[in-house]
Amino acid sequence: MKTPNAPSQAQLARAEDRLRHPRPGSRIEAAQKFGIDLSLLIEKLRLSPAERVRVMHDAANAAEQVRGAARRKRP
Amino acid sequence: MNFIAAVQALVDEGADFVIIGGWSAILHGSSSVTNDLDICYSRQTENLKRVTAALTPFHPRLRDLPEGLPFIWDPATLRNTAILTLSTDLGAIDLLAEVTGLGSFEEVKANSILVQAFERDVWTLDLPALIRAKRAAGRAKDLQVLPELEGLLEANKPE
Repeated sequence: MKTPNAPSQAQLARAEDRLRHPRPGSRIEAAQKFGIDLSLLIEKLRLSPAERVRVMHDAANAAEQVRGAARRKRP
Repeated sequence: MNFIAAVQALVDEGADFVIIGGWSAILHGSSSVTNDLDICYSRQTENLKRVTAALTPFHPRLRDLPEGLPFIWDPATLRNTAILTLSTDLGAIDLLAEVTGLGSFEEVKANSILVQAFERDVWTLDLPALIRAKRAAGRAKDLQVLPELEGLLEANKPE
């Protein structure tokens, strides 16, 4: 069990740099080749865990509200 | 769905639990989407009471049970099952007493970190443990998220 401190600005900058410029043969490059949008990961890393939850929660609820809307509109 | 309210209810009731699965991935920065809340809980007698008390107001019932069949939501049910897949008024919630690839709740908790989210302090798997659990689960949806999680782990690795 750990209670990690929030990452420092330097740690965030390093993570962002690694995601912007994946090293050949790295896991990050593999993720990119798999189809992961690394810019979305950069965006999420800039948020706190609480903000990540809030953003995802809002997105999930928005999706829930429109789910099936196109099918219902079909003539 | 309102998983924030579900997590808050569990914390406010004093339940001992760890957020695993998709919401754990989100807490670590994953951009993947999830439709349910996965929780690993302690089987200590007092904790079973707390978990059931926390979720009772949200009318839990088994997702894979036809409507109308009786289901008793109480500490005994929680004690006697390893996995409960529930529908609740707040959304789908899966309760697990142990996690494949990690083991019992105690081992899950030992591989967890405390984060501020859901407007509370909550325990969630650390990233290496989440990756181990996803790999061990081995389902297509678990394996699909592995490249992203491994990329995040590498991005956050100390120099």
